[in-house]
Parts: sequence; structure tokens; C-alpha cells
Amino acid sequence: MAQTRSGSNLIWNILSYAVLILLAVLSIGPLLWMLLTSFKVEDDIVTRTMVYLPTRFTLENYIKLWNQSGYPVLVINSLVTTTLTVAICLFTGTIASYAFSRFNFPGRTPLMLGYLVVRMFPAVLMIIPLFIVMRNLGLFDTSLGLAVAYTSFLLPLFVWMLKGFFDAAPTELESAARIDGSTRIGAMFRIVIPIARNGLVATCVFVAIAAWNEYLFALMLTSSTGSRTWPVGLQLMVGEFQLPWGMLAAGGIISIIPVIVLFALVQRVMVAGITAGAVKG
Amino acid sequence: MTAKFDRRSVLKLGGGMLAASALLPHQAFAQQTAINYWHTFTSQSEAAGLQAVLDLFKAAHPDVAVTPENIPNPEFMAKITAAVVGGSRPNVTMVSSERFEDLLAMGALSDMTDRIAGWERRGDFDDKRFASITKDGKTYGVPGFTFVDWGYYRKDWFDEAGLAAPTTYDEFRDAAIKLTDASKGRFGFGLRGGPGGQNFVVNVIEAFGSPVKKEDGTIGLDRDIVVKALDWYAGLLVKDKAVPPSAANDGFQQVISGFQTGQTAMIWHHTGSYQDIASKLKPGVEFGTFAMPAGPATRVARLAYAYNCITNDENADAAWEWIKFWGEPDAAVAFLEKTGYMPASTVAAQDQRIVGNPMYKAAADTLGFGIPQPSFPGAAGWAQNTVLPALQQILIGQATPDQAADQIIEGLAAAIA
Amino acid sequence: MSRGRAMAALPPPRSTWDAINPLRLLGELSETRYWMYLLLLPSALLITAIVLFPTVYGFQLSFTEMRLNRPAGNGAFVGLKHYQRMLADPIFWLSLRNTAVWVTFSILIEFVVGLVAALALNRNLWGGKVLAVLILVPYFLPNVVAGNMWALMLDSRVGVINDILVNIGLLQEYKAWFADPNTAMATAIFVEAWHSFPFFTLLIMAGLKGIPTDLYKAADIDGAGAFAQLRLITLPMLRTIIAAAVILRVIGLVNSPDLLLILTQGGPGRSTQVLSLYAFQNAYSDFNFGYAGALSVVMFVLLMLFAWAYIRLSKVNQD
Repeated sequence: MAQTRSGSNLIWNILSYAVLILLAVLSIGPLLWMLLTSFKVEDDIVTRTMVYLPTRFTLENYIKLWNQSGYPVLVINSLVTTTLTVAICLFTGTIASYAFSRFNFPGRTPLMLGYLVVRMFPAVLMIIPLFIVMRNLGLFDTSLGLAVAYTSFLLPLFVWMLKGFFDAAPTELESAARIDGSTRIGAMFRIVIPIARNGLVATCVFVAIAAWNEYLFALMLTSSTGSRTWPVGLQLMVGEFQLPWGMLAAGGIISIIPVIVLFALVQRVMVAGITAGAVKG
Repeated sequence: MTAKFDRRSVLKLGGGMLAASALLPHQAFAQQTAINYWHTFTSQSEAAGLQAVLDLFKAAHPDVAVTPENIPNPEFMAKITAAVVGGSRPNVTMVSSERFEDLLAMGALSDMTDRIAGWERRGDFDDKRFASITKDGKTYGVPGFTFVDWGYYRKDWFDEAGLAAPTTYDEFRDAAIKLTDASKGRFGFGLRGGPGGQNFVVNVIEAFGSPVKKEDGTIGLDRDIVVKALDWYAGLLVKDKAVPPSAANDGFQQVISGFQTGQTAMIWHHTGSYQDIASKLKPGVEFGTFAMPAGPATRVARLAYAYNCITNDENADAAWEWIKFWGEPDAAVAFLEKTGYMPASTVAAQDQRIVGNPMYKAAADTLGFGIPQPSFPGAAGWAQNTVLPALQQILIGQATPDQAADQIIEGLAAAIA
Repeated sequence: MSRGRAMAALPPPRSTWDAINPLRLLGELSETRYWMYLLLLPSALLITAIVLFPTVYGFQLSFTEMRLNRPAGNGAFVGLKHYQRMLADPIFWLSLRNTAVWVTFSILIEFVVGLVAALALNRNLWGGKVLAVLILVPYFLPNVVAGNMWALMLDSRVGVINDILVNIGLLQEYKAWFADPNTAMATAIFVEAWHSFPFFTLLIMAGLKGIPTDLYKAADIDGAGAFAQLRLITLPMLRTIIAAAVILRVIGLVNSPDLLLILTQGGPGRSTQVLSLYAFQNAYSDFNFGYAGALSVVMFVLLMLFAWAYIRLSKVNQD
């Protein structure tokens, strides 16, 4: 942002640090507490007086979780489903989003709204008919079926978000390429999509996270012997007549590790894109 | 059957039955039949209990392969509804008493009357164990195990105050008030006003003398009695201050941890939480168990069952083998060992570790005088979505017992209309 | 079909390879006036195939008697019966009011916090990347985990938040946040905002990187202050991204009962009862699919109205 007046710049920097550090503490504090909880024995969690640090460090919660939940299979299922969802969105959504962003054509506004509208009907009531659709298509209890179901609400999200990024990408380079004789499709793949790639990555991250964490459809459209995903497995450990705090905390920690790894990888790509100066006015 | 059965003879008998049943009736099956079993076992102990039964079954019935499918309890009805409407039913489903009427009306259950009548172990079960799964003379399932309602109390505090475990509502309230000590952060009773607390409200109403439904199926709730019951029950918090102020949001976990950490002197639950309590407090020294106390009009202590039901006509014979197996003393004992859930079979319930354990006496007694929950289509929804919010509104001061009683009665009228 | 017509209008191919070169064909196809519709086709077909039947089914249910635990009379057309019942149903109106509070305050907090965080992160401060990852982490948690984690931390007996607040003197004694109607909704909104504000941060951050720095330099020279720059450059440039984010979040908040199911189940005494929860309860514990369908249709229509009005007012589609 602004770089000229150094005095006010310093004040803004200090303010920014204050805000960021406060938010970081708020964000990470509960997670640290969860991490601590996951290493505690039950006696340190349900106590008369608060125990901050574990009196006895234990990995028992993780071991029990691993043994009970079938974590590896569930995570692989989640990975497959998430990858398929992102792939479907990427292939069908990117071009749709481009069309909405770059062309003005009859029916554009109603169509765009149409993409939103399909997200608006509450999932609660879609479950049973969706169940029937999936059975008829032979996609019930498959990762592909689940990914397709996710697509029904994540593809609109993908298209709408990405449109914002396409809109923000300047049109000059594209026009220049067109003048140089590039076809529309050539300009799209060679100019516009590379320019908007940060947005593309960010959008994919959202879709991936949403697919990774989704619970209700996963529960309804899969079974334990087929393509059940991790969040469903996680919910299942929460026994009704037991106090599962330690295991639940361990489950929470385990479930964010793959996402953080993914994000760390993506973050590098995003940063590389910025420093290379791909986005310039 | 007589009380002469000790553990060894039960096992021997069960083992003999197993050996016999492994040899005899299954030669009809040429190859392995696969069935799936939907259940809501989630906790570690429940999962271990199910695994124990599965292992025994596998040894006894190599011709039937059971695939268990665990479903989270809160979403169980959604999942089974979708399966029934969408036409992909499981072979066997675990059905708790309160869900029977709704599932039956939905057409999810198959009539098992003839199979059960011809079952060699039918005699092991008291007739009332089947009451909550029978309608119009037809029976739709076999009880796998029993949820027995009872209470836990802090024996050390009661002894200190010179009190005995309560047997009536009056004694119960007196004890709750006496043991409340704000300076120590102690409360007499951990009232469950959050999720799952609805059934206790219904119990109190019935214990005050107003059945939910009459014999003829019409509304049995008497407004004056409902008001009195609500006034007494919610009054434990709003008048007597003998309940933690968090009651309106206290579900299972909060109520149990309140008792475990010494915040409350008494709680109500069923035997399934025994192991959890015993892991923190010393049985017989720090805490004891008591049967649900008697109300002014009648004693209401619930016995609910987890029934196993055939939910698909395909492979029904194999499904029946699996359902029957839960009635084998061997299986029931193995399950009890892992979970603390009471067997449904009278024979298995004579096991020495139940009869001989004073901590289980209250549960064994309750098996005698306990009664099933009121059961009709919509009962569970009414209790959860009308009764519980009404109670909460009194607890948080948003409604009087009169207003809450009106809501409860109107809600019931709408539910059974 | 459009492909065939488009091909017919083209000049004859120069060589055999050219005639079948798919890249060239696509390139030429992209010059036709149906190009944009072709781009939309795959996604539109996919969405329609999945969503059409369930949505139509839902609408149809709302005019039908469908109580799964009362099979007699099911499937009969009942016209507007469910809608009439809704008008006279106090719980519906209460849920509607609660939904409005829940959505409005959640969105406001999420947007403001998300924007501030994104602006601060966009200053590319030393250590900013680490802070960015830390700040975004809550969004990665599944609802199941986030909800239960906060339920534990806010617990009135073993909750660490109560302990901290008592220790620093803000509270006299442990408070049961979800048992008091005055704090239940506010606390639930706080948890929701904590969980979802990074959605705005991440989106706005990505959007900010697309704004040319020249604009700010020019504004600096003109002497525009930071707030003027925010109002005149940043927000207008991010208009579509913000609009998309707000609408998508509103839909999510209205339709998904996940977090409230874990934290309060609508209690105490219905003080956090929202429409999505009410529809869920009607469908899967009362088995009244007709009424649940009508509730869903009302939620759907309200969301449509909101999206339409919002898009109108923010002029997102006028570029």
C-alpha cells in the first residue's frame, strides 16, 4: 500500500502489528489449549480446579483414536473426495466464471443468480432426494458420488468467488493479445488465468477446505465399508455416554494437520506468484 | 429360571447352546450370507462390547458375515429415514424403545412375531421386555440390552449429613436442599435441563399422577398436575436453589462432570455411565447408587431397551440368527463386561456379578418395578422439541409453570393429532 | 449443434492437419457468438443434474401432507395448509427473528474483523506470513471440532475461559454462557465469528493483491488519507469479491444448523432457535416433512430476496 509518508506509515505498521498479534492470539489460543488437552489424562481435564499444564503427559488419546477410528482409511477417502471435488470445480467452474466475468450476454444476470439459487435450498431437505438420485446413478457410497454432491453447492461458490478475481484482473493485456491475433480461448488460457492465479488458488483452497470438513452429506451418502470420510469418523468417537474430551482434542489436532500442510504448500505458490510480479496494473 | 445360576453355569449353558446351534440349524446355508447391522454404539466401551459379541458370533456362525455400521445417535433417524424412503435398508437395525413407534409407522420394521414365538430362548425373557416393541399383537424386535434408569449420590456427603439415599421425591428434595452449600460451591442435584433432559420431565409429570396418554390413546395430561410437577421439578432450581445455575444447558457431559468434580450431590441417569463415574469416585465409599425415588402418586423408573429388528426382507434368516445371538447368555455377559449395560434376558441378568454387586442392587431392583416410557408416534419429537424447551423456559425465568404446562399440553395435542 | 453451425460458417481448411487440429478448432469455436454459453454448459449441466430433482421435490413437499410417522393421508395435496400454519406458529416467528440476529451480527463481525486482518496482512510486514497462517487456522477446523472445543472451553465447570476471566477479575464466578438467554446467542455468534472470519480475510487478501499499487500512489500524491483510500479505492475495487463473500456466507449461516446443534440445540428455552434448526427438528424428530418443506421454501425465498436486493444495491453486476 502507501509507502510515501513514513511517519503515518509507522503508526499504521504498529497498529497493524497490534491487530494481527491480537487476532493471532485469539485464533491460536484455543488451538493451543486443544493441543494441551490432547496430551492430558482425563483426570486433568475434568477437575475441580483448573489444570493448565498436563500433570502427566500422555499420548494415550492419540493411540486410542488411531485404534478406534480407522484414521488412515478415512483420511484417504477424504483426500480422494476432496481432490475430485476440486478437480470438477476447476475444470467446469473456471471457464464458467471466466464467461461471467468477461462477456456481457443475454441472460447473464439471471444465470449468475441461478448459480447462487441452487445453493439456497436447505441441505436438510435435499438429503433424501439426493440419496435417491445417487442410488439411481449408481454413485451411492462412492467418493465420486460424494464429490459430485459437494459440487452442487461448492461449484457455485467457486464460480462466484473466482468471478470476483477475474473482474479484478485488468483487461488491457487481454485486449493487447487479442489485437495480436490471439483467439479468445488463447487469451483466456495464456493471459487471464495466469493473471488471476492467486485468486484461483485461493478459491481452490476454499473448496478444498469445505469439502474436507463437510459432515452431513458425507454421513448420509456413504457407509463405513465404502467412502466414509474423516469428519464422520471424528463425530463417531464422541460417545454419548462417555466423556471424550481428550480424544476429541486429539481428533481435532489430527484433522487439521493435513489441511495445514496443504496450506503451507499453497502459501508458497501464492507468495511466489506475488513476488514474481505477476499481478501488476 | 432360578437364582441358582452362577456365572460358570450360565457360561456353560450358553456355550453348550452355542455348540449346538453351530452344528444344527445352519446346514441349510450353502455359503456365507452377508448382512449389515446399523447401530449407534460410539464410545470405546460400546465399540469393544459390540466387537466382543461379533467375535463370539463369528465363531458360532461362520456362515453369516455381519458388517456393522455405526451411525451417530443425533443423526440416526435422518439416516434411517433416508434409507427407508430411498429404498436401501439395512438388514438389521438397533432400535431404542423411544424410536419404535416412529419407525414402525414409517414402515421400516418387519413383523417378527412368529420367529420370536418359535425361538428356544423366548422363555429366558420376561414378557414385559417385549412390551415396547409390540403393537397390535405383533412384535418387531428382540431386546439386545437394557437401559435401566437410576441415580448416583455422594455417599460421603450423605453420611456426613446423616442422610440416607432418597426413596421418595420429598426425601430427594430435602436431601438436595440440605446438601446445597453455596460457600463450598456445592449443589444438591445436577438437573439435566439441556439435551436429553426431556425424559426426566415426563417421568416427574407421570410420577405426580398424570399419565401422558390414557389407555384409550387420548391425552392424559391433567393441567393442574402438570403445573404442580413442573413447579416442583424446576423449583429445585428457581425456588430451592439446589441446582447449579447452568442447568438449562447441562446435557449428559455437563451433568456427569458436575458430579465427578464434586459440584453436585445427586444426579439421575442410567447404568451406562457407571464405569465413567467409578473411574473418578470410589464406589461404595464416595458414591452410591439409588433407584429412582417414588413420586407423590407413583414410582416412575424407566426401563428402555435397545432392540434388534429385521429391517429388510432380504436375508431375513441370517438376520434372525444375528438377532437371536444377543439373547445368548454368553454374548450378553461379554457385552455387560465391556459396557455396564444390563442384559435384557432374565437368565443373563441372574449373573453373579450383577446379583452379587451391591452397587448394582438398585438396577436389579429397578428391573423388577421399572416401567417403559410412554410410546406413540411423535412421542420422542414432542419430548425433545416441546417439553424440553418448556422446562428450560421455567429454568431461565421466561415462563411460569402454568405457561409451560400449556405449551406441553398443546404440543402433545399437535403431535398426536 | 451450435458447433456444427459455427463450423459451416468458417472458411475451408488449409491442410488436413489444420482441419482436425483440436486446438485450432477450439480457437475458432471460441470466436463464435455462442462461446460464452459453451463455457457455461458443463457446470450448468452438472448442477442441474444434481440439484433439480431435490429442489423440485422440496417445493412439492411443502404443498403435501407428509408425516412419515402417520402414513395415512400422506402424499395428499394440501395447498397452502403448511404456510397458513406457519403464519400462526409463534416458534416460526421466534426462529425467524433469531435467524436475523444470528446472521446479521455474525456477518458484521466476520466482515469487519476479516477486512481489518486482511488490510493489516497486506502491509507485508516482517513476520506477516507466519501471522497470516496463524490467523487463518480456525477456518480449517471442521464444525464438529470447533463447536466441541468451544463447548469445553466455555463450560461452566471445567472451562478454561471462565477460569481466566475469574482470575483477571472480569467475572465473580464461573458463568454458564449457554444457560443464560442473555448471553447464549451472543456467545454462539462469537464462536461462529471466530470460526469463519478467516473466510473474509483470505478472500479479501487475495483480492487486495489484484489492486494496482499505482492507484494508491496517485491517491497519496493527491493527499488522500488512509480512510479515504479505503473508501475510494479498496472497497470499490473489492466490490464483487465482497459481495460474493457476503452472499455465500449468508446462505451458509441461514441454511446450516451445525454449530448451533452442537452448542445449544436451540436452547435455553428456544433463545437460540433458528429456522434451519427448526426445519431439521421438524423433519427428523417430528417427521413432518411437509412442514419442514414449507419452512425450507420460506428460507429459500428469503435468501433469494436478500441476494437480489443485495446485488441490486451493491451494483455488482453493472460492470
